[in-house]
Amino acid sequence: MKINEFISRYRKWLIICPVVITVLMLLPLTKARINPDLMQYFPKDIESKINFDSIESIFGKFEPILIVVEADNILDESTLNDLSELHDSLIYLQEIDDVLSLFTTKYIRGEEGTMLVDPVVNYVPSTPEEIETLKAEIESNPLASGIFISKDFKYATFIVDPAEGFTDDQILENIFRIVDLFREKENIYLSGLPYLRYEIQSKAVRDLVILLPLGLIIMLIFLYFSFRERRGVLLPFSVVLMSIAIAMGLMPVLGYDLSIIAILVPIMMIAIANNYGVHIVARYQELNAKNPDWSMKQIVNESVTRLYVPIILTALTTIFGVLGLIVHIMRPAKQMGIVSSVAIAFALIFSLLFIPAILLGMKKGKPRESFKSEEKHSLIDKFLVWSSNVSTKLSLPTIYAFISFLIIVGVGIIHLQPSINFEKMMPVGHSLRTSSNILNNNFGGTKNISILFEGDIKSPEVLKTMDKFETLLKSMPEVGSVNSLSSVIRLISRALNDPGDELYDKIPDDKQTISQYIEFYSMSGDPEDFEKIVDFDYTKALMNVQFKVSNMKDLQKVQDEISWLTNSSPYASLYAGQCLIEKEMAQSVVRGQIYSLVFALLAIVILLWIIFRSPVAGLIGSIPLVLSLICNFGLMGWLGLELDIGNSLLSSVAIGIGVDYTIHLFWRLKYELSQGKTYSDAVTETLKTTGRGIAINAISVIIGFSVLFLSGLVILKTFAFLIIFSLLLCLLSALVFIPALCIVLKPKFLEKNGKYIL
Amino acid sequence: MKTKSLLLAVLIAVPTIISAQNPKEISEKSSSTIEFESMEMVTTLNIHDDKGNVRVREVAVATKKFGETTKTLMRFISPPDVEGTSILVYDYEDKSDDMWVFLPSLRKVRRIVSTEKGKSFMGSEFSNADMSKPNTNDFTYKLLGTDVLDGKECWKVEATCISRELEREYGFQKRISYIEKATYLSHKSELFDSRGKVLKTMLLSDFRKQTNGRYFAYTMVMKNEQNNRFSEMNVKQFQLGSKLDENSFAVSNLGKQ
Repeated sequence: MKINEFISRYRKWLIICPVVITVLMLLPLTKARINPDLMQYFPKDIESKINFDSIESIFGKFEPILIVVEADNILDESTLNDLSELHDSLIYLQEIDDVLSLFTTKYIRGEEGTMLVDPVVNYVPSTPEEIETLKAEIESNPLASGIFISKDFKYATFIVDPAEGFTDDQILENIFRIVDLFREKENIYLSGLPYLRYEIQSKAVRDLVILLPLGLIIMLIFLYFSFRERRGVLLPFSVVLMSIAIAMGLMPVLGYDLSIIAILVPIMMIAIANNYGVHIVARYQELNAKNPDWSMKQIVNESVTRLYVPIILTALTTIFGVLGLIVHIMRPAKQMGIVSSVAIAFALIFSLLFIPAILLGMKKGKPRESFKSEEKHSLIDKFLVWSSNVSTKLSLPTIYAFISFLIIVGVGIIHLQPSINFEKMMPVGHSLRTSSNILNNNFGGTKNISILFEGDIKSPEVLKTMDKFETLLKSMPEVGSVNSLSSVIRLISRALNDPGDELYDKIPDDKQTISQYIEFYSMSGDPEDFEKIVDFDYTKALMNVQFKVSNMKDLQKVQDEISWLTNSSPYASLYAGQCLIEKEMAQSVVRGQIYSLVFALLAIVILLWIIFRSPVAGLIGSIPLVLSLICNFGLMGWLGLELDIGNSLLSSVAIGIGVDYTIHLFWRLKYELSQGKTYSDAVTETLKTTGRGIAINAISVIIGFSVLFLSGLVILKTFAFLIIFSLLLCLLSALVFIPALCIVLKPKFLEKNGKYIL
Repeated sequence: MKTKSLLLAVLIAVPTIISAQNPKEISEKSSSTIEFESMEMVTTLNIHDDKGNVRVREVAVATKKFGETTKTLMRFISPPDVEGTSILVYDYEDKSDDMWVFLPSLRKVRRIVSTEKGKSFMGSEFSNADMSKPNTNDFTYKLLGTDVLDGKECWKVEATCISRELEREYGFQKRISYIEKATYLSHKSELFDSRGKVLKTMLLSDFRKQTNGRYFAYTMVMKNEQNNRFSEMNVKQFQLGSKLDENSFAVSNLGKQ
């Protein structure tokens, strides 16, 4: 049975089924849940995560929220009073377990045979002398200076440990409620993973609520200007709506959470799903205008019969491109690959069956005048005239120009870096970015690695090893602060012994003295004071290394040093840190990008090979893709845009969409050549006819994606910028570079079997 | 007329009944029931974490009251690496405690200054405040009612810190004590943190009546309800009164016993 007969026979079912499927897919959407936890996007068995978990299992989960307060002088009486009130208000929150600040961290010192252990700020000083004394005390206190207060006394930090059993929303909204009371006088910034998750979550919800309807409205307007006929707008639009419903409904059905990048799925559907329907409607309008005596059935039959092969082919290439995401390492990327390829398949089926089925039941519309007139003045038409001139008359220079452009832009790849800073997802000036700048410039830095020591922690050998590590690490310019039990033991030794004593500022040589130091401290401090650096039975201890790095290379340098130290000691067993997980994630983002890129590219080469029955078609056809990808990564390098979880999806999507233009071009070129035209004439004719379709198609996709510029998340904005750049390059390659190349190379595959295509 | 005098009798009687159940008095009487002017004991302190690990300390303690000051001497018997470490505490009626520690490996006496009574006692869940008699003026008292605990009828007395400073000092906001009506012994106390959540529960048991008529709890357990750690103190030997003279409690003699 031919496709047109099938549509006529099952017309009713072809209308009912899509509607029923859509409604059914809407139901599971009520169960959809946004998951902003970036850590869960990656496999559990990555080494850095295993190490991190094993440290958490010993020392407890510690996922703090950092509050940074900026003031002219933190030690001012009124500022300190505010800070003290802020501290007290925070500890009164149910959602908070503990708050570490100047009011809790200890000042350990010895005075005339007395060891004193007090909070750094025990009371708020009021006279200039008291303030000076406090200043001097803080400057000499390694547990406070550079950790809870900056060296210039302009910033203070509060480390808030959230209580278990509360959501990020509950915790942060309560913190905001309190912090807002102080914002009038002091600048306050927040940082930390729970806050990042909270911000992603709220921005993702906002994006879905605003961008999705906006994208749909823009698409409606675009369709209206393209067709100026109600059915021309509503039919492709209904396919968009149905495919969005399927993509989004499929996620909860398959048990997927909505990730930050899942927001891209409906936007992608807006951009892609209308493509196939648009071709059908355009052909219907064309035939309706050119053949006034044809019946509706004739028009629909003719449109479908002529178009179904190229439409299926372009949809297939898009599906294969997007499917490249399933070999990505990031779970949401795989999920996005699966749901969007299924949804694109449905968009294809609906476009080929649902739209014609509806059209069959309609009366013929009023023919559009524009198809009759030969005059064309639009920008697209002018561009097409220019491109056919350039590619036919200046073929070789065109090729050279493209290659030069490729080299110049492509060189930027050497500057391309994977992103190791999650806060860059947020716009400049966002609290997360400001706070991380402050922490990097005025405190020890935003990165932290913990080294786990195992053995008899109270033994001098272990503590001296720790002390040696501390000294070596502190000498690195990147390292801001190092803290462990050994630094506390040295502080106690300074408080208990007088300067000049043999034991002053030293790790004692015997275990008894160390044990007595610790016992002595436990009589004046809190048992919790050591909880985060040594376990209950003193068999495991942690050393916290705080440092600042802005790129992968420097992070690797610090990691190498720590790794070397750890390997050199029998007591240091492993090291871990959030930043190392982020680093491994960044590396797997790069790997994921490469995997899906190679997969998609290979799939496309093979598909083109099969479609045009020639490996050369595969190679030439993939040139626009390779060119646009190299330029895309090169541009990122030049602009300093880092490779992140968002733009790592780009190549698959760009390949999937971008290849369509070349297919349409080859298809028409073959036909024109089979009509006995010269290469030059064939190119000119192809660009005039199919070139227009390709350009309109590309513009609709670009308009679809451009909605992302309004996103609250920088990674989505960057994604929009880069995908549009890539698609424009694919378009330019398909309309200028490939025609010029075909004229020069005259590939054989274009000259075979062309007659049967159109 | 008759009714009027009856009413008057009731009016006079009511305050007397209330005063007999005045929560502050109940608390004061309760703490004096277990107060000793001088005694000596050997006790083990077992500090348990939430994973089943335990730290054991054995301490010899002597307490004696000299004038208004209660002086306590504690000496570690085990574990071996802290054996001989001694602590001397002067508990004044009107000011915060003084505390000195002798470290045998340094052969030095060092003073510890701490204003916070809520601080941990030897790294256990007990606080220094739990080890001494509370100052009743620091709290407001409320009788919450009665309850039966292990068959004993008890008053439920709530003591709330009168200021935020005191809350910080004691490390809790309020304490609900279960005080046995018959004996005035407090069998259980629940401590609440500043957010009103249960922080710790203290159980006192194995009360033994001493020759002076007062009681001594041979077992004390303090459980931190928020982190599931608990510490227990078991008295191995107890002796009423101490033969030590004031000189033995002098700072200059610390570590020499």
